[in-house]
Amino acid sequence: MPIDALSDPTYLRSVIRLSLTVSLFAILLSTAVSLPIAFAVGFADFRGKRFVTAVINTGMGFPSVVVGLLVWYVLSNRGPLGTLNLIYTPEAMIISQLVLATPVITGVALSAVESVDDAVRDAAYGIGGTRADVALITLKEARYGVITGILAGFGRAISEVGSVLIVGGNIAYADGTSKTRTLTTAIQFEVRKGEFETALVLGAVLLVLVLLVNGIVLRLGGR
Amino acid sequence: MNFELECASYGVDGTPILTDISLTVGAGEVVTVIGPSGAGKSTLLRLAALFERPSDGAVRCDGTEPWSLPRDDRLALRRRIGVVFQQASLFGTSVARNVDAGRRIRRPWASRLRGFAERLAARWIHGSPTVDDRTLEALELVGLGDEWDRDAASLSGGEAQRVSFARALAPRPELLVLDEPTSDLDPRNTAILERAIGQARDRDHGVLLATHDMHQAERVSDRVAFLLDGELIEIGPPERVFEDPRDERTARFVRGDLLYDDNELLV
Repeated sequence: MPIDALSDPTYLRSVIRLSLTVSLFAILLSTAVSLPIAFAVGFADFRGKRFVTAVINTGMGFPSVVVGLLVWYVLSNRGPLGTLNLIYTPEAMIISQLVLATPVITGVALSAVESVDDAVRDAAYGIGGTRADVALITLKEARYGVITGILAGFGRAISEVGSVLIVGGNIAYADGTSKTRTLTTAIQFEVRKGEFETALVLGAVLLVLVLLVNGIVLRLGGR
Repeated sequence: MNFELECASYGVDGTPILTDISLTVGAGEVVTVIGPSGAGKSTLLRLAALFERPSDGAVRCDGTEPWSLPRDDRLALRRRIGVVFQQASLFGTSVARNVDAGRRIRRPWASRLRGFAERLAARWIHGSPTVDDRTLEALELVGLGDEWDRDAASLSGGEAQRVSFARALAPRPELLVLDEPTSDLDPRNTAILERAIGQARDRDHGVLLATHDMHQAERVSDRVAFLLDGELIEIGPPERVFEDPRDERTARFVRGDLLYDDNELLV
């Protein structure tokens, strides 16, 4: 029996819950990976730094379908991590969004860290700061840029269609709840069915969610 | 603190910046380094503030060589030195938080986290930030006792530099290293900082100051050192160095006719 997305609150709630859970987890993991990289590259002076920065920046524009294909290959039964049985699960979607969001957060955070004047780092060192203190003060000075990077990463993750469709499969259980169906893949599904009004409503829900998350993060960041 | 540089040299990629510098700064003494741009004044001060290690020679603080110590011991020594740069470089927070920064980072992490939580509670529950006496005392020394609650970004250049001075002073360092702290300031702010330097000396802080302003060097110094092309040409009481210099290059610098041509010194 077909699911009516708008008249079935259980379905809608499960799709929203999965979208948020997958993207927030992906961003949490991605932030944990990205910030140390941004700091390591931003602070260090080494041969090949420009090349590393260029690679990170290139990753920001990595086509999501290609990422989806690569993650699908790695996680599929024939792939190197096939035994983990992650393909077509929310975990696979988290991995896919993690891969997509990490260069975005790293690139923007790196740019924010590098934009902090050397004189501020000197001042932090000059008041008796250790390397950890200097890093913490630099992070505080770069906080708005870092937050922007996290929000940009979240935007990329939650609005993702191609890769989550490939590795997640856009699956809903028979009882109408979502297994791997997110708001974006649900929109794509509704459009294919010709349910444009439903797709538009789901799109509006997605926009409100993104606005809410942005508002909360900016509030926590002191802006 | 008795600070000493003995035959210290410093270079980058084989290019010498400082050569064979010997200099002492005692407790309660103001030693001013003068010299043209590019003479190596800032590098000399970075050696004194333990930012850089000399490539040759020795740095000593109360007879101890910091660079022969383990990192934690060197940090303890570095924390007895306060630094002010030409650029105020305040942190993006309030004036009080800037001044308190040096003392804050000296606390254990648990205490810092507790302080962070208390500050959040103070802001959200009471709605107003607080300031402690030590921070106020340092700010009053630079005439900004009433401005502790202001956002540092709202300060004028002169006020920002005064806050930067208070930030260096608040942890009560034994040696103050001041790199052209008044070069961008108007006469009023310059006078306030010079008075603060005098008060630091009265409290037995040693002061190592770099300046372009020879009148300032004359006003605040116990001894003046003339640095040229990375070499210490001469050092002595200001009246002697300015009125009866022993080296012709010092005399020409003091007279204002030490000339460069394509970066080559015309002696």
